[in-house]
Amino acid sequence: MRKAMQEAVRNVIETHEDTALLLIDIGVYPFRDLLERYPGRAKNIGIFEPGTISLAAGLSLAGIVPVVYGISPFIVQRCLEQLKLDFVYQQTGGNFITTGAAYDFSTLGYSHFCPEDAATLRLLPGMEILTPGTPQQFTALFRACWNDGRPSYLRMTDHCNQTQVDVEFGKAAVLKRGERATVIAVAEQLDATLAACKDLDVTVLYYTTLAPFDGETLRREHRGGKVFVSAPLYEGTLWPEIVQALQGESVEIGGAQVPLEILRTYGRKEEKDAALGLDAAGIRRKLQDFL
Amino acid sequence: MTEQARRLRKSILRTAHAGQDANLQSAFSCVEILRVLYDRILRAPGEPSCADRDRFVLSKGQATMALLALMAEKGLLPQEELASACRYGSRVSMQADRTKLPFIEVSAGSLGHGFPVAAGMAWANKIAGRGGSVYVLAGDGEMNEGTMWEAAIFAASEKLDGLTLIVDDNRSIGRSIDMGDLAAKLRAFGFHCVTQDGHDEDALERAIRTEHPGTPLAVIARTRRGFGSGTLMEDASWFHRAPSDEELAMLLEEVERYA
Repeated sequence: MRKAMQEAVRNVIETHEDTALLLIDIGVYPFRDLLERYPGRAKNIGIFEPGTISLAAGLSLAGIVPVVYGISPFIVQRCLEQLKLDFVYQQTGGNFITTGAAYDFSTLGYSHFCPEDAATLRLLPGMEILTPGTPQQFTALFRACWNDGRPSYLRMTDHCNQTQVDVEFGKAAVLKRGERATVIAVAEQLDATLAACKDLDVTVLYYTTLAPFDGETLRREHRGGKVFVSAPLYEGTLWPEIVQALQGESVEIGGAQVPLEILRTYGRKEEKDAALGLDAAGIRRKLQDFL
Repeated sequence: MTEQARRLRKSILRTAHAGQDANLQSAFSCVEILRVLYDRILRAPGEPSCADRDRFVLSKGQATMALLALMAEKGLLPQEELASACRYGSRVSMQADRTKLPFIEVSAGSLGHGFPVAAGMAWANKIAGRGGSVYVLAGDGEMNEGTMWEAAIFAASEKLDGLTLIVDDNRSIGRSIDMGDLAAKLRAFGFHCVTQDGHDEDALERAIRTEHPGTPLAVIARTRRGFGSGTLMEDASWFHRAPSDEELAMLLEEVERYA
């Protein structure tokens, strides 16, 4: 996905003079040609995230579309007030591409994890939250939103799905129809979710845009009064959106999500997935209990 | 104090009284700075259609009432609208909202945002290859914020000579922390820095027009909190307080009589 991101960003910088790339001291090597060719507007800014987000807002307010690239928690959490006041309040657009996902930097520990990104950013009105699960999906979503005048958070993962799904900005994809429950799969969780419920009589919706949330598709497709969220996000994330989408109906919500804990283990991401019940076996177990 | 500055301070007092909320000390200390900027320095301010206009960013948002009173003087805001200050749905407030008023470049409120945003605007001007300078007004207390120094590092590193930081140094923060030599700090961060009397309009204009090729400029304007009213200058309770009917009359009188 990083390569697709680099390609998409490179394309935008090359073809639009009114764009700028701000690296928060990551991606410097793969973008080195861009930094050399466009030294005025493609920069490794250094390591001061809040100031960088404000600088990006200044660019945006003065007509230059900023693309910021950093690590999830250092943009979402360290810069939450900058996103809120310098982008959302000013009603100006920008792009915040991150690496790290929930705990892609598994060996680095809690400081580098961000399973709370979507739950945090959903409280910023107008903030777009994109969670592609494949390189192609990153490209499609970035193409749709990079210059739409709104702040866009693009959460990348290094653990892409093998399942290819064409996605559209702002729309859930219907991957399977069944009667007993609706399963919402998010981002890199799709492969394991499909494996977990391949012989189960459930509907599977795949979400790569979390905000604005596509309540319409959920309303239309949901079955059985049960919605199960399979997402690499802290538990409870997306539940308000589900309740809102199904207003007036009684719905039971369950899920395979990251438990609200301080994650102190290291090891590989896959080991965490297994321990937290977020691999195919864990998702299946939780889903069967739920059904 | 010039007669125009006196009139503006009275207008601020009436606005504060109407809104029943204000940071009068902070608004009064930067009256001359704002007047110099809008009377003598800024080109086409508040004309959003003019891409190479000079931009003014009020980073110390708590002085918003001073700016709005000045905009009313300039005819950019109906004078009578000042009386709607702080009312539900009003455009006039303690902290201006850019989506309501076209001459506000950046909505303010939280300290430590305006300066880095202004630095981004100066960078944008450079990218776009257009004229237009960016002026930002901060407070000495605001210079406590880490993001101010993040912006300073970037502005100097990028040689943003289209950026001028004016610090309304009314020594509001000395009561809590010793900021040391602010001018020396800004110089060490790579700014061309001049210090000037912040209530002397001619001197301020000269300071803001200081040549500063290849570096951003910082002007430390030495001011007094509440300048123009003995009560506001002496009584710290006026940091955040609105005048009653009697206090309004008393403060207007003080401003009228101030030398």
